[in-house]
Amino acid sequence: MARKKPEFLPPQQDLRRKAVNFSKGFRLKLEPAELRRLEEVVEKAKDALSLDVADKLRQLREALEEVARSQQTDRGMRTIRALSLDIKGAGGMFNYPLLTEFAKSLNDFTKGINQPTPLQLDIIAAQIDALYVVMGQRIEGQGSKVEKDLLTALRLAVERHKTAG
Amino acid sequence: MSESMADHERIDFSKINFLIVEPNRVMGQMVRDVLMMLDAQYLDRARDYDSALTVLRLGRTDVMITEWALRDEKLGRTGMDIVHWIRNDPASPNRMMPVVMMTANSEEEYVCRARDCGVSEFVAKPYTVNAFYTRLVSAIARPRQFVRVDEYFGPDRRRRRSDEYAGPERRLPADSY
Repeated sequence: MARKKPEFLPPQQDLRRKAVNFSKGFRLKLEPAELRRLEEVVEKAKDALSLDVADKLRQLREALEEVARSQQTDRGMRTIRALSLDIKGAGGMFNYPLLTEFAKSLNDFTKGINQPTPLQLDIIAAQIDALYVVMGQRIEGQGSKVEKDLLTALRLAVERHKTAG
Repeated sequence: MSESMADHERIDFSKINFLIVEPNRVMGQMVRDVLMMLDAQYLDRARDYDSALTVLRLGRTDVMITEWALRDEKLGRTGMDIVHWIRNDPASPNRMMPVVMMTANSEEEYVCRARDCGVSEFVAKPYTVNAFYTRLVSAIARPRQFVRVDEYFGPDRRRRRSDEYAGPERRLPADSY
């Protein structure tokens, strides 16, 4: 089948003309002092982020209970996926990369699972517990060998028991 | 080492109208605070597809920063649907608007899907402020040419150009990715 030739449109310069200049504003590459000021903004948000994640962990437990009671499993699993994705994105932003790792593991595991088996439910619960431990023990950075081993074990369980249900 | 003109360029963020689409209140506030620190004055916020389109239809948005996963998942609407609307809907006020997607859907599969939907820049969460700033600058100060091929309309997905290639056209339609 003959493929249409691509049509090219030149870059739109309106925004560049409006905002880019040689006298006012921020350089395209930030000065170290400017970057520090921006990092302070994120630093200030860390408490709020941490509270937000704690609230999401509580919601995760509630959603899991709902699924375990076999009520609205679709809705419960959708909630678990959405919350774990949020935590995955937030953890590393306030120096909790392990939260990001465990949340990614939970999110990957639950993709495509709408009616989990009892064993799959146990694995989901273990991953939520791990998130609680990281937050509860305030394990910043990469954690110790214990947390790394736990993450490896959970990943193995995820690989072994991830079949869509 | 000699300095180029680009080394002296600056961006006046106070001239730019931003739309932040982020269902997470804290994350949205953080993006807003960073932009305000950059002296941005015009900031609209939306948390879902419908409220984002309401703002976009006003025609004042210069740059949209959007999350992929919106709370409309049940309705099947994500940040990608907003991007699709901007790029393809006849009612879109600026089909070539720079769009920065920030998302925890950071795996390669998602990056490719975002690119093939017409996203200008992709920021994986969790992100650093510097990474966010770099993508934002790229979207504003280094606009890319657009391409229309089959079903795809969006920024040229080829960032590197080779003038030496003389073979046949190998671009694939968007739905073949």
